[in-house]
Amino acid sequence: MILLDSLLMFITAYLVGFLYYGLYRNITARFQRRFGPPVWQSFFDSIKFFTKEESTSHGWMFYLGPIIMMSGAIMTLLFIPFFTHSEHFRGVSEYGNLFLVLYLLVLGPLGNALGVGTAGNPFGVMGVTRGLSRLFALEMPFYIAVIAIMSLSGSSDIATIAASQSTLNVVAYPLLFIAALFSFIGMMGQSPFDVVGAPVEVYSGPASEFSGKFLALLMSQSAIFTFAKLVLMVHLFLGGAEGFVELLGKTFALFLFVIMFGSIYGRFKTPQSIDFLLKIPTAIAVVGLILATWS
Amino acid sequence: MDLSIFGLSDIVLTLKATHLANFFASLIIFASLMLLFITKNYKLSKSFYALFTLLLSSLFLILYAGDYLLFFIGWEVMSISTYFLLSFSLSKETLHKYIIFAMASALSIFIAILLLYSSKQSFLYANAAESFMALGTFEGLAFIALMLFGIFVKLGTIGFHYWLVDAYQESHNLFTPFLSAVLSKMGVYALIILVTQVVELSYSLAIMGVITSIVATFKAIQEDSVKRLLAYSSIAQLGYIVTVLGVADGVGGALYHSLIHTAVKLLLFLNVAGIIYMTGRSKFSQLGGLIYKTPQSFVLMLIGIITLAGMPPLGGFASKFMIYTSLLDAKYLLILAAVMFSSASAFLYIYKLIYGIYLGHPTNKKLETVREVPWSFLIPQYILALLLIILGTYPALVVPYFNVILQELHLKSIAFSDYATLSTTYGEYNGFVVMSTFTAIFVLVLLVFTNLRSKKKEAKDRFDIAYCGEEPNEATHLHYGFSMGKELKRVSLLSTLYKNSVKPFYDSLAEQTLNFSDIFKKIYTGNLATNFQFATIFAIILLWWSLK
Repeated sequence: MILLDSLLMFITAYLVGFLYYGLYRNITARFQRRFGPPVWQSFFDSIKFFTKEESTSHGWMFYLGPIIMMSGAIMTLLFIPFFTHSEHFRGVSEYGNLFLVLYLLVLGPLGNALGVGTAGNPFGVMGVTRGLSRLFALEMPFYIAVIAIMSLSGSSDIATIAASQSTLNVVAYPLLFIAALFSFIGMMGQSPFDVVGAPVEVYSGPASEFSGKFLALLMSQSAIFTFAKLVLMVHLFLGGAEGFVELLGKTFALFLFVIMFGSIYGRFKTPQSIDFLLKIPTAIAVVGLILATWS
Repeated sequence: MDLSIFGLSDIVLTLKATHLANFFASLIIFASLMLLFITKNYKLSKSFYALFTLLLSSLFLILYAGDYLLFFIGWEVMSISTYFLLSFSLSKETLHKYIIFAMASALSIFIAILLLYSSKQSFLYANAAESFMALGTFEGLAFIALMLFGIFVKLGTIGFHYWLVDAYQESHNLFTPFLSAVLSKMGVYALIILVTQVVELSYSLAIMGVITSIVATFKAIQEDSVKRLLAYSSIAQLGYIVTVLGVADGVGGALYHSLIHTAVKLLLFLNVAGIIYMTGRSKFSQLGGLIYKTPQSFVLMLIGIITLAGMPPLGGFASKFMIYTSLLDAKYLLILAAVMFSSASAFLYIYKLIYGIYLGHPTNKKLETVREVPWSFLIPQYILALLLIILGTYPALVVPYFNVILQELHLKSIAFSDYATLSTTYGEYNGFVVMSTFTAIFVLVLLVFTNLRSKKKEAKDRFDIAYCGEEPNEATHLHYGFSMGKELKRVSLLSTLYKNSVKPFYDSLAEQTLNFSDIFKKIYTGNLATNFQFATIFAIILLWWSLK
């Protein structure tokens, strides 16, 4: 039963993730006054890449890097229930909690960082270093917000947190949501915190040495991971979801906001983004936490 | 123990085997057994092992003492035997630094103990809380401050860590694992005794611990020396323990993290010792690219760093989870955020640790001919790695044992249902499910992916990389990551952290002390005639005093 459930979650996340990615490419295209590719183009690309050969490989750790990343993404997905109350689409989430999910969010990227390091491509390692330097600053506001939410709902179980919101957390604690949103934009790899991959700027960040089937794997995990993160955010702040319509509606609204934010603002350098995140969003989060828990 | 033959009839000393002491004693024995494996790789004199035995016995005296006086004797012997053990490899300056701090620690603990004794004339732990209550406000504060100073020096809490990093770096590779894994735990034990038997310290301890872990983590990121990085990491990890001991129900988390930290630091220091043994290099800027030369060491290091990072599915997550939930339960929300922040920052130095040694490119031709580390280094690491994997799968395996300790200390015990589920008031997780889900997904993805892949295309050599259309060669600087973390210096918030150090403070303290001692030099010149004059004056004063 759990196996079938997990498989359905995987397929849903795979398709929805690529759908969102296609929409993202279209929407950003409109911002830049051009027409984007067809919505399912990225999906077909990933399928196509799975049939291609890679140009080089660098031994077993390099080979395992993207596989760990994919496993990390699927793990994250399975530990976050899709719906607040449903018996279905909840994977193995009853055996985990929010702390576990917070760590699983970085499991994949760290695994891949090992693969990148093995290849010995300095451009790849540069991306990893930027990512890790930025990671702690990025997590800070998110952690504070999440801790406040956990303390208020008295549990670290994601479904319980989603169910305990009589008024949505985004309405009840807007400051916490704003602070967490800054981190979330960075987690989604959007501007102004997108210096890790830094499209068009450095050679291409952590993915530079991966080609062919490796790239297909990285693209697929990114789609799944994006959807998992959106679902998590919906559970924490937007009251969770009871059915597919509500889930897709809420995740897409959040996604739309994030990509619009991303297409408007320019990119921070690594030290700038650390400085910014540790000052303004962290301050907002601390004020939010004090206001929310003061009694 | 009866001291009446010495004319000290009212002093009672006891030895007591508590479950808490047994736990720490088993850590000592376990760590010593692990170190036995590598002794044959180093030619050390007999006196080293004799002193090591003395050190071990002093540690047991600390643990099994039932009162503060025997505890102090153990502490003093520990400090001195450690001094002699360190003297085998330390430079004079570092050794001086160590002994001054160790003596200051021992003396301040001694004064604190005498303060406690002054109120109810008892050294026993059993009467300690009562004696403390009977102290005045000033004496009470002085007791806490002196006691904490002594313990913090041993733990290397930030501000008191001045001796620690250098001592760890220069100490013998056989002794460093012991320093980090075991000797620092004596500080933890003393702190647990203090907070459970004498006085709860709540916020002050938690804040001290959190500052320690954050500062030490950022200092670790900048280090080029492997052992210095691990030393700072050790300080940071002990900072978590100090933090969680600020919470009433934090002892469970502290015990769990002590266990994990002992195992993981033994593993990492042994791993690094093996690499230094084979290459003779101990800096990230001189290492690199060893992964396919020493694959077993790499995998063991990987298990170590996953645990150190507190990543599921290994044991490190269990102890971090305990720490986080006890802080959450006590509503130490901002402190919890700071602990998690420090834990996330640690990923940077943890990646540097594995990248600088095993990944990237070799920085020297000699590194291309390195062979695998000897089995004597690998066997203890395999045992430790197995322990960490088991603890990751069955995180509640040690909970029944911890509950016995917690009951003995009259603390709330940890909920226990089965060995796989670690449950707290703020949620639970099932280690077995986490481990098996990860393994299943990993194997599944691996199989599918390997079947898709028709033929392997390996790189010709290590220069066969995507490099902006150019072809790198021997002269190209490719081992990029050994200096990672440098850019943090450009962040204005963090640069203050890097600019400041405790060195100027201790330097000026040393200078002041020397100036002060000049006064005594005027009296004690070494000239016999002056000495005689002063002795005569002193005798006359005494005579006058007694006749008055």
